[in-house]
Amino acid sequence: MTNYDVIFFEIAIICYILGCFTVLIPRAKQLFAHYFAQVMSILGSAIILFIAGRYLLVGETALTKVVLVGNYTLAIDAWSAVFLCITGIAGVITSIFAMDYALGYMGKRLRELSGLWNLFLLAMILVLVARGAFSFLLSWEVMAIVSFLLVNHESEKKDTWLAAYQYLVMTHIGTAAIMIAFFIVGSGSTGLSFGALNMSVLPEFARNTAFIAAFLGFALKAGLVPLHVWLPNAHPAAPSHVSALMSGVMLKIAVYGFGRFIFGFLGPIEFWWGAVVLIIGLLSAFLGALYAQMEKDMKRLLAYSSVENMGIIFSALGVGMLMLTTSYKEYAVLGFTAALVHSFNHSIMKSLMFMVAGAVSHAVEDKNIEKMGGLGKLMPWTAVCALLGSVALAALPLTNGFVGEWLTLQSFVFLAMADAGTGLRLLAAFAFIMMGMTSALALGCFVRLLGIVFLGRARTRRAESAHEVSKGMIIGMAIPAFLILLAGLVADPLVGIAQHVVETSIPVRSVISAESFLLWGQSGGLLKYEPFILFFVAVILAIFSWLVIYRGAILTRRDVTWNCGTVPTLRQQYSGTGFSKPVRRAFDFLLKPRREVVYLQKEHKYFGRSMVFTLTIPDRFTEKLYIPLQHHLVKTASFLRRIQAGSVRIYIGYVMVAMVLVLIWGAL
Amino acid sequence: MNAIFSYDFLFSFIQMILLVVFAPLFSGITKKTKALLQNRTGADITQDYYDLYKWWGKRTVVTPHTGPIFLLAPFMYLLSTMLAAFLLPNMLTNLTFGDIFVFVSLLAIGRFFMALSSFDAATAFGGMGGSREIYVSTFVEPVMLLALLSAILKNDTTAVSGMIFNSGAQQINVAGILACVGFFILLLAENGRIPVDNPDTHLELTMIHECMLLEYSGRLLAVIHLASMVKGLLFMTLFSMVFLPLSLPLVVKIILTAVSIAVMETLNNKMRLFKVRAYLLATGGLLLLAIVAQ
Repeated sequence: MTNYDVIFFEIAIICYILGCFTVLIPRAKQLFAHYFAQVMSILGSAIILFIAGRYLLVGETALTKVVLVGNYTLAIDAWSAVFLCITGIAGVITSIFAMDYALGYMGKRLRELSGLWNLFLLAMILVLVARGAFSFLLSWEVMAIVSFLLVNHESEKKDTWLAAYQYLVMTHIGTAAIMIAFFIVGSGSTGLSFGALNMSVLPEFARNTAFIAAFLGFALKAGLVPLHVWLPNAHPAAPSHVSALMSGVMLKIAVYGFGRFIFGFLGPIEFWWGAVVLIIGLLSAFLGALYAQMEKDMKRLLAYSSVENMGIIFSALGVGMLMLTTSYKEYAVLGFTAALVHSFNHSIMKSLMFMVAGAVSHAVEDKNIEKMGGLGKLMPWTAVCALLGSVALAALPLTNGFVGEWLTLQSFVFLAMADAGTGLRLLAAFAFIMMGMTSALALGCFVRLLGIVFLGRARTRRAESAHEVSKGMIIGMAIPAFLILLAGLVADPLVGIAQHVVETSIPVRSVISAESFLLWGQSGGLLKYEPFILFFVAVILAIFSWLVIYRGAILTRRDVTWNCGTVPTLRQQYSGTGFSKPVRRAFDFLLKPRREVVYLQKEHKYFGRSMVFTLTIPDRFTEKLYIPLQHHLVKTASFLRRIQAGSVRIYIGYVMVAMVLVLIWGAL
Repeated sequence: MNAIFSYDFLFSFIQMILLVVFAPLFSGITKKTKALLQNRTGADITQDYYDLYKWWGKRTVVTPHTGPIFLLAPFMYLLSTMLAAFLLPNMLTNLTFGDIFVFVSLLAIGRFFMALSSFDAATAFGGMGGSREIYVSTFVEPVMLLALLSAILKNDTTAVSGMIFNSGAQQINVAGILACVGFFILLLAENGRIPVDNPDTHLELTMIHECMLLEYSGRLLAVIHLASMVKGLLFMTLFSMVFLPLSLPLVVKIILTAVSIAVMETLNNKMRLFKVRAYLLATGGLLLLAIVAQ
């Protein structure tokens, strides 16, 4: 009876594999290959979503310890089921979108794009169901390489392959760190399966080192500051539906892996681990939001916004870890639940926004928001979806984006209340300041994005003649837009499921006296927020105001804006750069923008000369950390090259010297 | 679903209506006091009702470039303030449908849509206002959360109903006074009052909130002004209920707050826009002290 789970899981995997093999279809039938591959990925993702959802809602699955090949076992538990759900939902909606969107790549390796798309989804799912260090790392590596190939799809462009190779190098540093973490944990256990790793016993120093390695590796994949530099480069380089999947799902896989380590492998959690995760998370949230508001490239902006949201997720994880070290262990559930809920919600809204970015840049053929404007009238459906996505990312109440941030704030409150001493209280106050700035900056960032792209007047010819995208793309965007509202209104059961998952995942070492408490419910819950009732009131008010304000003789005369006697020109319209000026000025000391004014004509010193003003805001971490680091690396390497003379005799000499040294060392 | 047919729901709904009805009156009190302090006679306290009535009957002129967002924004602004009013606890019921974070975040809906609408007319003024509003909110928001944290730590709850100042049960301490001063400054900043913004001028160098609604006229303008008044009254109520450590009836405390806003506006000048950062950071420091001293 329950063996259906295994059968369907295998069908899903076969779907993906069939999708991969569409690359073999001859080029003349690339359109068929593309559609077939996308249908396969929709089918596969839907099955995965069904299996994972069934496990979360009904609570039963036969997918425990299935041997796929040889030593490769896979299984689902509660923690991976949530992330499988995320992958399934995002997989379905982005594949629907990709059906029409990827047609833009017709003749430009379309079959490879669609085939790798399936492999990418498959790799992420295999990471989530892997039950051993080896299978985890293998799938992780496949995921990294396939995503590199997808980012590098338009490899003719220099920016693209630069970004792709940067991503390749960075992600391998991360993989190396995760490997080290697995090896350290594995050295204290009887085997490399997850069950054995959960039981590993390690000395203090080894555990701390393993934590640092694991956090480094997963923070790099999640794009936390200062390891985020690949993210804002890779996203604009990749095709939009790939960015949607990378930002929506792949970053969450890092949360999954990190969860495995802190819930099981690393043993009891140290105080400073939690503090480090919390502080890095908060800094990422703040800096991500700040850079997002400065950005002109729509997809870079969204990438920085992902840095912000991953920061929020990790800060919630950090609070959970900190609470586990205090005497109020049971409230750790709140922090972990917040992280899980926000992961789920963010995957929906960020996939949506990347799809919107794809639709808009498809219509305008440019990613620079300063060249758009007034698209709301030309692309109304895209605009409505973008509005919903932005409202959710700005964390306004009644949307799903609010729920995660609200739970995170509540976890900070419990952190402040947890201890009578001022240490944690000051940490919580710091968290409040950072979250406050983050949410205000994120709100400003998305107001700016919507306002510049969809409202006002078109800034270029291209934007004037934009057209609404095809129906398939609109459907792909409309589903997550609807889910944003739905998950915002029925947040209560979703949070309940997340809480249950967290409660079954944490006590691997029974740190918590498994006493469940009602986090949030209609009555007697710990927290209070009833979106459905607020929505009901909002609907009443909307009907009332429609009858009273809008239906009557409200309108109106259409007339040009009074502009002191002149007709307002296009150039008087506010630009995105101008809009973020006050914030840029306030944070000048962090951003260090570079301003350059070039005067083109010099006949008159003060009158009638034209000038060019350029403003660049370089990523400070690239400038101050990575470029010097790279510089030193190259310098050291070229220094070491001196001993590589290329002559065989010298190498034999090295071998002899080494032998002698070893012999001496052995004799001592 | 049961909650909709409860008396708690009904009372909260009635309270929401009452707050909207009386909001212009309290705004009138501030204006009248300000006029008296400046040796003017000033308009009648009920003048704001007449103003709203006047705007309500006028025709709306709209720039040709604008779209639905422009028409929707005033309603969303009013909606966000009314939902927040719905959440405040009152004399009749303690049960509310959201905690203090929900209350503050609901007001962000209004800010989002007003700043958004400022782009729609495609002029320089609108964007200027929206841009400045976002700038000020970047510093108001963290300080606001600190103020809320101090109140939460004092009362051990995040529900507004649990925070109501009660002179019998609570003592006046240093932390309470610091939080009171801090929140009063926030109240001025959040409602576009001197020294952060000046509600009385229409000068491009100084205005923030007025900038965004420059393109509005007629009934839409009335809605925006009403929403601003409700927002002002909401903050005054929250301040009087939670932060003002006096044992007086609530209405008296609110009137006192309205009067002290007028006094503050008379004593101070509008501050340079870029000094707001330091001003609000200092307020944040004050509130941090309140949290530590708790």
